[in-house]
Amino acid sequence: MKILEDFSNIFTRYDLNIEVARQEARKVSKDATLQTVADAVVVGETEECEAATKAALAAKSPMEVINDGLIPGMNEVSRLWDEGVYFLPQVILASDAMNAGIALCEEKMGKAMDKKGKVVTHTAEGDIHDIGQVIVNALLNANGFEVVNLGADVPVDKVVEACRVNNPVMVTGTALMTTTMTAFPKIAAQLKRLGLNIPFVCGGGAVSEEYVTSFELGIWGKEANQAPGMAEDALAGDNWNDMRSKWNG
Amino acid sequence: MKLSSQMAYKSADEMMFGTAKKPVTTKRGIVLGGGHVVPEVVPHPRPGSEKTMKTLLREYERANGDALERCVIVGHPILQIENEHVFQMTHNPKWGGEIAAQTAKQMDEYLEKYGLKASYRATPADLRKPDMVNMRDSDYTREVLESFKECAKYADVVSIESMGGKEVFDHAIIRNDIAGLLFGQAVLGGRDMEWMWTQIVDICKKNNCIPGGDTNCSEANTAMFMAGGFISKDVPHTMAALSRAICVSRTLVAYECGATGPTKDCAYEDPIIKSITGVPISSEGKTSACAHSDLCGNVIAAVCDLWSNEAVEYHDMFGATTTAVFAEILGYDAAAMNAAIELGYQKEFQACLVNSDMYRGPHGFMLAPQNAWLIGKAVVDNNESLYARGKAAAVKCGELMLGDPKLKLTAFERESLQGYMKDMEKLPAKEEDFIDMCLKKYANVKGFDPAAYGL
Repeated sequence: MKILEDFSNIFTRYDLNIEVARQEARKVSKDATLQTVADAVVVGETEECEAATKAALAAKSPMEVINDGLIPGMNEVSRLWDEGVYFLPQVILASDAMNAGIALCEEKMGKAMDKKGKVVTHTAEGDIHDIGQVIVNALLNANGFEVVNLGADVPVDKVVEACRVNNPVMVTGTALMTTTMTAFPKIAAQLKRLGLNIPFVCGGGAVSEEYVTSFELGIWGKEANQAPGMAEDALAGDNWNDMRSKWNG
Repeated sequence: MKLSSQMAYKSADEMMFGTAKKPVTTKRGIVLGGGHVVPEVVPHPRPGSEKTMKTLLREYERANGDALERCVIVGHPILQIENEHVFQMTHNPKWGGEIAAQTAKQMDEYLEKYGLKASYRATPADLRKPDMVNMRDSDYTREVLESFKECAKYADVVSIESMGGKEVFDHAIIRNDIAGLLFGQAVLGGRDMEWMWTQIVDICKKNNCIPGGDTNCSEANTAMFMAGGFISKDVPHTMAALSRAICVSRTLVAYECGATGPTKDCAYEDPIIKSITGVPISSEGKTSACAHSDLCGNVIAAVCDLWSNEAVEYHDMFGATTTAVFAEILGYDAAAMNAAIELGYQKEFQACLVNSDMYRGPHGFMLAPQNAWLIGKAVVDNNESLYARGKAAAVKCGELMLGDPKLKLTAFERESLQGYMKDMEKLPAKEEDFIDMCLKKYANVKGFDPAAYGL
C-alpha cells in the first residue's frame, strides 16, 4: 500500500505544537524531612510516602506532616496538572500516596483530620458507568473534601436521604446514558421540597448543559477536573445560581 | 475452550472492506461480508421514552421506521439496524423482545412492499457491574440471559458489551498500571466472556439467531475516550493503544465460543479480530461523531463489512429525524466503498482511508490493516493463555509504535510507552504466576471477587 511521506495537508498534530516543556517540581519545604514527604507525593509513590511520613512523624506532629509536607506536595501536583505537565494518572497516584500518609498521621492523632466539607457523589439509577465519578471522588479527596461516595446505580431516594443526613456543600451526579440522567431532575425536585438547596453538579457522557440547566439546583459539569473548583465555590457560600452563572452559559 | 492458533488471512494485503473469509447470511438474505459493505444504523431513544414499554415501543417504531423509510427514499438497497438496549429494556426482558418483534415486522413489511433487505441486531445491556453484583449469580445476570432469549426469537443478530474485569480495569487505567489492564481485560474479561458466550451461543442455536460478537467498550473504549483528542490530559494515547491491543485477547473469546460475527460496531479492535477469525466486522469512525469523538475517522473503515454510527439519539434535524439522516449518510458511505469494489478500485480506496488517519494518532496507527495483522499474528503465536496473548499483543503494539518514525509521539507519550514496555518485561511469563501476583495486588480493589471469574 502506498503511504504518504508528508501528512501536513491531511491533519495537524496540535498536541505536538502545544507540548508543555518539562518542569521540575518546586521545593515546598525548607525542612528536609518534610520535603521528602512532599517529594514522595509528587512522584506518586505510596510506599515511599508511607516510609517518609513515618520518618517525619518521629520528629514532627501529625498536623505538621499533613500541612507542611503532604498537602503542599499535593498542591504542587495540582499545579503541574493545571499547567499541562502532569496527566490524570499522575494526579491519582499522588492522591493515593497522600492518602496513605494522611492515614498514618490520623492513626497517630487517634482521630480523622478535619476536612473542608462534605460532597455527596453518585452515578444515576440504572447507570453503571461510574469511572467519571471515580475520578471526581479522587480529585475531591485530593483537594481536602470528604467524599460521601454512594457508588453507581443509586436510586433517587437514596441520594436525597444521603443529602439530608450529611448536609453536604455540594452533590454530584454522573450518567453516561440520556435515559438514566432523567433521575437528576427528580433528585433536584425532592431536595427542593425538603428545603435542601444544595448545588447539584451533573455531568458525564451524554449529559448536556441544556438539560442540566433546565431544572433548579442543576449545574452542568463539563469535565471531572472542574469538581474541586466547584466544591470550593460551594464551600465559600456560592448558591446554585451563582455557580451556574460562573460555570455554565 | 481452544485459543486461536492461526490467522484467517495470510497477510494484511488480503484484507479488504466488504469481504470476509467467513460471511454470514441474515434471515432476509443479506450476506454480511459477502462482497459489499452494509450500513448499520443505531437509533437511541430520547430521555423520557423509557418510562413504559408502550412509550418505548412507539419511540423505536418511529426511530427504526424512519431509517428504513429513508433507505427507500434515497435508494439504499440494504440496511442493518441495531438497538443497543437502554437499562429498562434488559431489566424488563419482555420489553427488548417486544421491540425486536416489532422491528422484525417492520422489516418484513419493507421487504414485501419495496424489496428493501434489512436485518436487526439486538444488543442487551450488560447490567452486571462487577463490583456491585456477582457476575455469575445475580438478578441482573439472569435478566441479561433472559433478555437474550427474548430477543433471539426475532432478531437476526445478538451482541453484547460485556463487563468482565471492569472493576480492576477502572482501578488500573487511572494509575498507569499496565499489569492491571492485562489482568482486568485479558484474564478476567476473557474468563467472564467464556462463561457468558457459551450460553449466548447456545441460546442462538435454539432460536435460529446469529451470535454476533462482543466489544471491549467498557474498557478499551473508556481508555480511548479518556485519551481523547489532542488537548486531553487524562490518559496517554499510547496506553489507550496498548489497552486496545490487550483487549483482543478477551474479545476473541466470543468467536472461540462459537460467535460468527457480524462483530459489534464499537469494538475498535475488530480489524485485528478479522485478521485472526475471518468473521465479518462492523466498524465505526467518522460517522460515530454523533456519539463520541475518535481519531480513527476513515482508517477504521479499511476492512469493515458493516459501517456504523455507534448510536444517535432520536430527534429532529433540518433534514429529517436523526435516524433517517444517519441511515442516509451511512448508506452513501457504503455506496462509495461498494462502487470502488465494483470498479476494481478497492485497493486505491482503501489506501485513501488508511492514509487519512494511520498517523493521526496511536489508535489509527495500530488499527491500520498492516499493523492490525501483525498484532493478530502476535496473538495467535502466543496462545498459551489469555494473559500470554494479551501481553504479546501489547508488546507488539508498543514495538510498532516505537519503531515507526512517521508516528509522532509527544515526549510524554513516548516516555510513558517506554515505561509500560519496561513494566511488561518484568511481568511473570506464566499465567498462573501472573494471576497469583494479581490476586494479591488487587485484593483490595473495591468489589473484586475472584470467585466470580472462577478463580
